[in-house]
Amino acid sequence: MSFSDLLGQLPRVFTYYNLLLLGQAALTTLLLSAFGCIVGLVFGLLLALARRSHARLLLPLKAFAFIYVEILRRVPFLVTLMLFFFGSQVLGFDLAPLTIALISTSVISTAFVSEIIRAGLDAVKQSQIEAATVMNFGFWQTLRLVVLPQAWPVILPPIFSYFVLFIKDTALASQAGVLELVQAGRILTTKGFSAFIVFGAVLLLYFVISYPLARLGSHLESRLGVSRHSRARRPIS
Amino acid sequence: MHYVLQYGQVTPFLSYFLGGALISLVLSGLAFCGGMFFGLVGALCRLHGGPVLSGLVRAYVVFFTNTPQLVQIYVIFYGLPDLGILFSPFAAVLLGMTLNAAAYLTEILRAGVTSVHRQELEAGETMGMNHLQLLRFIILPHIFRVLLPPLSSQYIMMVLGSSMAAVFGVEELTGRAFNVNSTTFRSIEVFTLVAGLYVLVTLGATILLALVARYGFRARVKVL
Repeated sequence: MSFSDLLGQLPRVFTYYNLLLLGQAALTTLLLSAFGCIVGLVFGLLLALARRSHARLLLPLKAFAFIYVEILRRVPFLVTLMLFFFGSQVLGFDLAPLTIALISTSVISTAFVSEIIRAGLDAVKQSQIEAATVMNFGFWQTLRLVVLPQAWPVILPPIFSYFVLFIKDTALASQAGVLELVQAGRILTTKGFSAFIVFGAVLLLYFVISYPLARLGSHLESRLGVSRHSRARRPIS
Repeated sequence: MHYVLQYGQVTPFLSYFLGGALISLVLSGLAFCGGMFFGLVGALCRLHGGPVLSGLVRAYVVFFTNTPQLVQIYVIFYGLPDLGILFSPFAAVLLGMTLNAAAYLTEILRAGVTSVHRQELEAGETMGMNHLQLLRFIILPHIFRVLLPPLSSQYIMMVLGSSMAAVFGVEELTGRAFNVNSTTFRSIEVFTLVAGLYVLVTLGATILLALVARYGFRARVKVL
């Protein structure tokens, strides 16, 4: 196929319904990564707290958090996805591909996000927590009023860049049959359109989604950095 | 909901899986070396290349770090044949991984090169070191101390990322897992075993790299 043939195909590829398919697929991609990250934030915080705890009673939970995080971060997303995909069939759960993909993205992102949160919590000085204990704050009060507000500027930038990274990882969900951008591209190529044009368009769509978020992330990082800096220089009273 | 795990049906394939793990390591190792070469060229272009070259490299980095590696390989493997350029699955995956790694490594290496201070080189010269000694005792330890943790985690990410070669029919660890899964139908056993192998392989690589950093360059790297 020559280059002019490819150009001639362009108007036939980008019809209304094909664009609608790509648009909906892009929304599924966003849904997968956003859902994964939000679930990851909630459970990641719990795992990070479990790993930091010193209570004898929480020791099994601490061990579980350690093993979960260290193992899940060293298994490829594709393998985890296939484990859930085939595993749910073998065990007789009748789950939709999207549900399976949502579960596996959440499981994976929990492991990664919990490491980011743990690093953020470790950045808060121990003396702050001791001061809160002296002032008779409870565990959740210390967390909500003292630790999290100080850890947040440290946590947010890497979380954001992880979120951007994660959008690209969800491309593998196509292998479980989820109708996201890559799968939409595969459908269009089986309709006979040139793979070069279709996957080129998919590539551009990913870029359009990912680039503004990446820029927003680096903006956020510099702004949070500056505000922390100026807060430190501001007189106390 | 009643399911009996039968690892006995999968363990005969262990050596087959280990061979696949070796292919994964070789694939990601080759891509890493290629990426290091182009990344070094890219980093030098960013730092000393002038506005045009530096801008081109920047555009390359922004584009490749903001699009999924899977789709990049899709374009190389399924898209380029439309223009008459054909690749074998292994070559397509290797090319895609190399191009992708080059983008990330450009950024990592750029940070490393800028971390060597001029004063340290001058101090070395004052102590009568020749160029080779400067390189061995000042530049390399300094660069490696800064760079080994991000380089090591980049390599681990690439070993994990090489699993997407299975999508294109390369028989590395994940590809062989698909093969064994479709002959034995022992999905849970196959994929948990392969996941375990990935953990062992990447953990081994991390520990090896940490040892190199510890005894080669006196840098401390956290393993867990």
